[in-house]
Amino acid sequence: MRQLDRLQCGIGGFDEILEGGLVAGASYIVQGRPGSGKTILANQIAFHHAAGGGRVLVATLLSESHERLLQFLSTLAFFDPARVGAEISYVSAFETLEDEGLDGVVTLIRREISRHGATVLIVDGLLNARSRAETQLDTKKFIAALQGHAAFAGCTVLFLTSARLEDSSPEHTMVDGVIELAEEIVGVRSVRRMQMKKTRGTGALGGLHEFEITGHGIRVHPRLESRSIGSRAPDDPEDRRVSTGIGDLDRMVGGGLPVGSSTLVIGASGTGKTSMALAFAAEATRAEPAVVLGLFETPPRLEAKGAALGLDIAGLRAAGVLHPVWVPPTDQILDAIAYRVLDTVRETGARRLVIDSIGALARRGSTEGRDVPFFMSLFNALRSLGVTVFATWETADIVGTPSRAPAPNIASITDNLLLMRFVERGTELKRVLSIVKIRHSAYDASVHEFVTTPTGLHFRPTGPVAAFSPGAAPTA
Amino acid sequence: MTTILVADDEYLIADILAFALEDLGYTVVSAGNGRKALDLFRSFAPALVITDYMMPVMNGLELAEAIRRTPGGTVPILLMSGAQAEIARARGDLFTHVFDKPFVVERMVSVVRELVGPPSKAD
Repeated sequence: MRQLDRLQCGIGGFDEILEGGLVAGASYIVQGRPGSGKTILANQIAFHHAAGGGRVLVATLLSESHERLLQFLSTLAFFDPARVGAEISYVSAFETLEDEGLDGVVTLIRREISRHGATVLIVDGLLNARSRAETQLDTKKFIAALQGHAAFAGCTVLFLTSARLEDSSPEHTMVDGVIELAEEIVGVRSVRRMQMKKTRGTGALGGLHEFEITGHGIRVHPRLESRSIGSRAPDDPEDRRVSTGIGDLDRMVGGGLPVGSSTLVIGASGTGKTSMALAFAAEATRAEPAVVLGLFETPPRLEAKGAALGLDIAGLRAAGVLHPVWVPPTDQILDAIAYRVLDTVRETGARRLVIDSIGALARRGSTEGRDVPFFMSLFNALRSLGVTVFATWETADIVGTPSRAPAPNIASITDNLLLMRFVERGTELKRVLSIVKIRHSAYDASVHEFVTTPTGLHFRPTGPVAAFSPGAAPTA
Repeated sequence: MTTILVADDEYLIADILAFALEDLGYTVVSAGNGRKALDLFRSFAPALVITDYMMPVMNGLELAEAIRRTPGGTVPILLMSGAQAEIARARGDLFTHVFDKPFVVERMVSVVRELVGPPSKAD
């Protein structure tokens, strides 16, 4: 099967969504409201193309001055003033559009493509062409003429428009691809998303992908579940076991956690979830390092917490066998966090991963109902890397059994589920563990008390505790 | 009548300059690309030329070179430019003055006045 030649765009994640880049010689519409990032996208492609030896013609049908555009672009890292007027030429076709109409613009652009030897053509302000056209057929003819001239010159075309053109619009029917950029408010934050609405001659990762605009330009974070990372990995964890870092717990779960499995420990704040997670991470060795993804506690706080439990987190970190990944509250793109974790795991060869917590991570997401496919993809990718995951999820209830499962769907996709609770015993508040499930393995189902002693973390059998029923529990 | 030729594909900039110069009494002819500007140069024999660098059909550098080869082509040529100002500054033979875009119109007008003097009423 023949593969079409590609034009690499040099935008992180964007070529990946296009499965290799724009199809060379094809034409695309980039559409989105003002401020959605069309101009940055197109110019970032232009500068990358020029840096690789290509030549770009940017023709505008808008009345705005290029100087202002260049001033704004000069604040972005990819902007190279030496390219402007050399490999990248900006020309205005506005006056020609006014004086000579669409035919005049086609003639002008055709000449300019050949005068500059352009291999990428960017036409900004497609809506103005539509305004100047007397019929829909005129718009089609205009696009067809530009496509024709560009194709004969081996030139890839991007038409930029601020209009939200319909799928059936003459513009859409003519081009090979449509890239839609959008910015919307989710809660109190703004989320930028990109979608490939039409891609002739190539596959593409469908659906919405979040992107950000920084001083380096656009960076796209392909939706994790749209990619098939680790899809060929065996579905089940291995028979081999790894220690939880707590001897008592290893015995209760039948000799440790299956390699490649995912474990979720749920419970209220203070029940010992992070302590258990740190004990798991502290089992890291040079051969099997650990990564600790923290959304609540910074690496120094984790080290202090470990020290209080007799776990040398700082020493393991210094020895390069435990790698903290701190996700500050400003990091909001779920997929970006996932790729950061996967990259760190690959770079360090980690075999253990702590996620503290899944709840905090899920709340960074901007799309309702995405948790299950996202975490399934993430756990799948991690299993394919031979990583055993130990994750936490905090519940709202302080005492007793959680009245509401925090994430019934997430609980169903993890292999192992542990429940931590506070129970009152006389005048004392005890922390107790119940094992809810260990996939494909027998386990000790009796309630155990969690205690910290000078010899480490322990689970001791305990007598009867409050009824294990959501109905009997206090609500938060 | 002192005529100034303005060449810029961005009509807003050409218009702003033309208004400022006409207010002072100069006659302004303008063109949206280098080729048209060269035609106007031959027809109107302006006292001074102000040109952009990046333009369709013929850019500012090509226009200046063509003017220098044309009879009467020794008039001052001012270049308005963004990123290409350095290229232009190296061509002192072509450009009398180079303005980095964006520039203050008053500054441009005062340079024009220094180079060609106040507008004359009649030829």
